[in-house]
Amino acid sequence: MDHQFTRRRVVAVGGAGIGAAVVGARLVSTGKAAPELEKKETYKVGFSQVEENNPWRIAQTESMRAEAEAGGHELIYTNAAGSATKQIADVDSMIAQQVDAIFLAPREEVPLAQACLKAEAAGIPVILLDRNVDETIAKPGEAFLTFIGSDFYQEGARAAQWLAEEMGGEAQIIELEGTTGSTPAIDRQRGFRDYLAGSYTPDPRNMTAASTPAAAPEGGFPGMEVIASQTGDFARDLGRQVFETLYQANTGATAVYAHNDEMAIGAILALEAQGKVPGTDVVIVSIDGSKEALQNIIDGKLGATVECNPRFGPIAFETLLKYADGEEIPTAILNLDKFYDESNAEEFVDAAY
Amino acid sequence: MAGTSPATPARADRAPGPRRDAPAASRLAGVARQMRGPLGALVLLVIYNALFNADAFLTRQSFNVNATQVAVVVIVGVGLTMVIATGGIDLSVGAIMAISGSLAPIIFLADSAPWATPFLGAAMAYVLPVLLGGALGAFNGGLITGFRIQPIIATLVLFIAGRGIAQVMTGGRLQSFREPDWQYVGLGRPLGIPFQVILMLTVVAVAAWAMRATTFGRYVLAIGGNPAAARLAGVPVRRVTVAVYVISGLLAGLAGLIEIAINSSADANRIGLNRELDAIAAVAVGGTSLLGGRATIVGTLIGALIIQLIRFTLLTEGASDAVVRIVSAGAILVAVLIQRQRGT
Repeated sequence: MDHQFTRRRVVAVGGAGIGAAVVGARLVSTGKAAPELEKKETYKVGFSQVEENNPWRIAQTESMRAEAEAGGHELIYTNAAGSATKQIADVDSMIAQQVDAIFLAPREEVPLAQACLKAEAAGIPVILLDRNVDETIAKPGEAFLTFIGSDFYQEGARAAQWLAEEMGGEAQIIELEGTTGSTPAIDRQRGFRDYLAGSYTPDPRNMTAASTPAAAPEGGFPGMEVIASQTGDFARDLGRQVFETLYQANTGATAVYAHNDEMAIGAILALEAQGKVPGTDVVIVSIDGSKEALQNIIDGKLGATVECNPRFGPIAFETLLKYADGEEIPTAILNLDKFYDESNAEEFVDAAY
Repeated sequence: MAGTSPATPARADRAPGPRRDAPAASRLAGVARQMRGPLGALVLLVIYNALFNADAFLTRQSFNVNATQVAVVVIVGVGLTMVIATGGIDLSVGAIMAISGSLAPIIFLADSAPWATPFLGAAMAYVLPVLLGGALGAFNGGLITGFRIQPIIATLVLFIAGRGIAQVMTGGRLQSFREPDWQYVGLGRPLGIPFQVILMLTVVAVAAWAMRATTFGRYVLAIGGNPAAARLAGVPVRRVTVAVYVISGLLAGLAGLIEIAINSSADANRIGLNRELDAIAAVAVGGTSLLGGRATIVGTLIGALIIQLIRFTLLTEGASDAVVRIVSAGAILVAVLIQRQRGT
């Protein structure tokens, strides 16, 4: 009995110790501003990419590399291959290599917030690309300098705006959602539905964008009805299969809203296989602005796509240099994304990723 | 199994194997009896849809949609049924699909290659990826028979490495294309029936015949029933084992081509993703014992159709993806439990 008691106590004490260690390790952001950046000709910067397995990410990396090369900067590149643990280790190694600044495309909000705090403690400014971290742990303007990315919520609203206009306010819509639980899927759905419901209000940080849709009209579009919505996991094959099934059950559908181009193309292929004419029988709108999507707009199969620009290189390095010059950097910089439809697809198809 | 005479391989009596003396009618009845559970479930699903879901279900279009969506799983599942009948498992089929599906566009999109005549290019883009799939299957079989590595570990090697190989081949890039002639395998509609469905039925028919009526089929079941007894009985265990993995690889190679043809694109990260699990589920629901020695190819077809129809029914009813997954898993569990009760 004694022996057991002792062991239990050891466990309890040990547990408390671990708990205290965890609390201790969870650094608290104390600085009032992000770490400073010394003004230099060229910089040694780290770029921690989250994964490299789709055209969008490949374009993003290429853009970062090209911009670093153009400016003569040394770029230390890591690929976390979709693992938050690896990405934290990647950032640790960048800190150890004493880079001047870190560009971070974080995989998950909470784990990578800790990585930002570590960089802050080491006096290295962090610029977040395309996804955010938990701002209650890592304060913007302190633990990280700024977030550069697209406004997914606005993307959804822009898709809704175009579709409502195109369909004259009357449509039976099938929605193909992105990966369940991912930020772009959640925000693209919310933006689209809020706009149609008349409750969309633009992000005030994004008002500079010329193409920002104004707040949705009062009362929204009661004739625009989402009749089925299902995840296609941002993938063409699953998007196609899910659309085939939903379209069987909802033959009255007149429009498709896909959270990305790949799933939209899947829906186009499904319609063609069924002898329907995409663009005529069913109008399709999506998000991303890939080269293939623009070609489909030119061919009349895809109605429109909202750009979600992967080319972060120029704006990322421009922000870095401005910061070194002592300029005030806002805590969020939203990309000025284009909008592609039949009026401009031809012009931009070659430049698309 | 000591009592088993060498002439009749162990447990072959339990198999849907040939009873050469039985008349065709009673043989068919035997099959029907064995398939009673899965067949009943399938019939129930069809009746349910016909009654409550008629608009969406009782159309030629819906037949085409369901049949094309199930084709890839069935073709892969046929190979897996044979592998599982020998007491093995093949986890690498999804990765092999990715490799074959990534190789084909590299071949037919190459402009400057010596085979760049339209016909030769298209033909080679069919043949080489499928043969490569077979070669990868031979690699699996070689690891299993030559080095006595357990099948689940041996095929795990390609499961892990295969998708990486496909990504290296394509640089991780999505290859998209429009080659209507080549894409016939996914998009062709002879007599209004999708070509891949004809392909699927052919594969099922040939494999079912091979398992029932050929020595090869008896050997496969004998190995799964009792490899030691099979070896003593003079069954060429190594050769037959390698052969089933080769067949599984060839069929996975073919399935990869169908998948990219339908999608007009090849994405090394996505082709065949989780297909090995879909196919194993179809095999299990169809009534093939995962312990080996008992196999039913038609059962695998029925098993895949059951899972497909559950998914179709729930999606048309507007259920969320999460619900679809849970119900499908429940159906698999029930099917396997029923078979376990009858099987022992």
